[in-house]
Amino acid sequence: MALDRKIAYINLSTGKIETKPIPMEIRKKFLGGRGLDAYLLYNHAPQGCDPLGPDNPLMISGGILTATCASATARTHIMAKSPLTGLLGSANMGGFFAPEMAWAGFHHLVITGKAKSPVYIWIHNGRIEIRDAAYLWGKSTTETQWAIREELGDEDIKSAVIGQAGEKLVRYANVMTGIKNAAGRTGMGAVMGSKNLKAVAVRGTMDIKIAHPIDALEYNKRFIEGITSAKVSGTQGSLGTPFIWGATNSWGGLRTRNFQYNQMEYADDIEPERLDEIATETIGPHHMTGCFGCQVHCRAQYKIPSGPYAGKYDEGPEYTSLGAFGSEPDCRKAETVLTGNHLVNQYGVDNLEIGSMIAWAMELYELGIITSKETDGLDLRFGNDEALLEMVHRICLRKGWLGDVLADGGIPASEKIGKNSFEYLVQVKGMSNLHSDERGTPGLALNIATASRGSDHLRSRPAIDLYHLPEKIMRKIYSNPVPYDGPLSSEHTDYEGKPWQVFWHQNCFMAVDCLGICKYHTVFLGATLPNFEDWPKVIYYNTGLEFTPVELWEISERCNNLERLFNLREGLTRNDLKKGDMLNHRYFDEPTKRGAPDVVGLTIDRQKFKKMVDEFYNHCGWDKQGVPTSATMDRLGLNLEPSHLL
Amino acid sequence: MANDSEKLSSAESLRKTRTFGKVRCHNPSCMERMEPSPGAAHIKCATCGMEYRIYWVRPDLPRIRGPVWEVNRKIAAEALSRKLSTSKSKSQVKEGVKDGVR
Repeated sequence: MALDRKIAYINLSTGKIETKPIPMEIRKKFLGGRGLDAYLLYNHAPQGCDPLGPDNPLMISGGILTATCASATARTHIMAKSPLTGLLGSANMGGFFAPEMAWAGFHHLVITGKAKSPVYIWIHNGRIEIRDAAYLWGKSTTETQWAIREELGDEDIKSAVIGQAGEKLVRYANVMTGIKNAAGRTGMGAVMGSKNLKAVAVRGTMDIKIAHPIDALEYNKRFIEGITSAKVSGTQGSLGTPFIWGATNSWGGLRTRNFQYNQMEYADDIEPERLDEIATETIGPHHMTGCFGCQVHCRAQYKIPSGPYAGKYDEGPEYTSLGAFGSEPDCRKAETVLTGNHLVNQYGVDNLEIGSMIAWAMELYELGIITSKETDGLDLRFGNDEALLEMVHRICLRKGWLGDVLADGGIPASEKIGKNSFEYLVQVKGMSNLHSDERGTPGLALNIATASRGSDHLRSRPAIDLYHLPEKIMRKIYSNPVPYDGPLSSEHTDYEGKPWQVFWHQNCFMAVDCLGICKYHTVFLGATLPNFEDWPKVIYYNTGLEFTPVELWEISERCNNLERLFNLREGLTRNDLKKGDMLNHRYFDEPTKRGAPDVVGLTIDRQKFKKMVDEFYNHCGWDKQGVPTSATMDRLGLNLEPSHLL
Repeated sequence: MANDSEKLSSAESLRKTRTFGKVRCHNPSCMERMEPSPGAAHIKCATCGMEYRIYWVRPDLPRIRGPVWEVNRKIAAEALSRKLSTSKSKSQVKEGVKDGVR
């Protein structure tokens, strides 16, 4: 059954491999996936360890529901101390890797040490080998996966790999699987690179016994009906995540020209509908595909229609590639977006971070803070498509002074560039913001300021705040599974009630990441999608474990607090612009200039923002400095951590 | 209880509130529901005047592709001008900020 999947400890320095069952006591407290990884990180990472040193443990995991009869259990979670932020490193990818790893007998890997030369890990039906990867070093992410399949003679092998960006220790390098599935935040690919670990390959045929198979299938049918009938799923399945980029741009919530504007006007050539036309022209009408066990199919397939990479196949682009190669650098050609997307997938680098780095450099260039001397003659003005794509190559290969500097991430780069470059760097905890502009949405601003892995939309974003839902519906969602009768507002420009919404989503998204399912199957973009009341049934039918919705909520709180404890241990303080829950001054000082009439002219109010953070901390059970109180630690059973039970 | 399969969850009970065939105005404090005629390419919000381009995901599922840019730009510029002339925070807008050049 799902609960008999094991954990493996792999030391690349010594070659020692040890496997263990996962105790039920730990399962009941942390479930699996991101939650259990947080436990492992807190227990195995020495305080202050070098993120690119051998002591930094790298966790790779599936959720407690991975590869069961539940829907969309495709997600692979990867965690370590981040080389980008020096705090929590955590990234999540779709595809088929985690289910295959579960069929091979494992839910969690803990990889420590550093191999003397490039290696990859081969996991096959309970057996684990460390194999030579010298011949793989220097290959792209796709080439690497096919080379492993060829070497081992099995086309069904799934691999989590790094590309050249991970090898070169670009501090926001991805771990990738398939064509474009990316564990793409906080530099987990650089951690793999620092260990000389090119790939983890898995293949399994070990059955997973379902506790109540008929009930599980019956309930999943009901679950699928709820997912596929949602309007948001229909749109996702037609246009993918670019539809969110389009909607965000429509009302004026899109970060444009680094942070100078909140809307990219006349962007018709890169609107999702135009990309859909290109995918239809180059692949055919049925160009949408999906991850393991998912019915939404939000991933487009395409070929680059023109330019030096014409005819190259790829998948996506996602919202973030439209931001990275469209609105942020103010480039308006579909060819540029599709080519940039292809390059980051092949190099294995975070499209969001690299797009933000280049857009920041473009603003610095136009301001004269960097010149053609630093760019080695490259004209780095906004709107220069060729310069944008050239910078992708330079960063991923660490070529030239600026490429090498930007590869280290924003804060170290600002220290090397000097002058007042840091003022223009739009980041939280050292990680760049999503290509969205939260000046018109205080709830979303609170989300990015307080998210555990740095500025991030997938940790606690109350995206449905933008839907202007009637209060009755808001109450129904946000008063479950624990009662809440405080303020709630349907106005997304309000500050009232937003801390509770962010707190609620923080717990909701943690639960999703522990289960191993996709966030498009919960209250992220659709208000009517499953949440705490629905999951206990899925868990029970598939694993036999019984939880109430409130118990799941408490598990999520426990895991979120463990991530918080890790960050505090590594130096997080509330108002630190580089390591705290604080926004760049531009949120407070520079009003928005574009968008819908109720969005222009807005900033985040400093005092109201501070009050929101206070309230959010209070909901979390943290003191005014954002430290969990002893009562919270007692309530969640965290006062004995690190407990070293696993 | 975990295995109480008959009871509707909040998410399931909310599904009857879905409004197929309608879109909501993207002006955040307006958010008026609008029902485009089948196959229509444009729609204007009767409440706030914003105009949008419509894309049909399916024959029963319209979505706003984006604003009609000229109308959007004009309304935004008027709103910004109005706000800046009445706001105490007028000084917050740094002098000399133009398209991409500081």
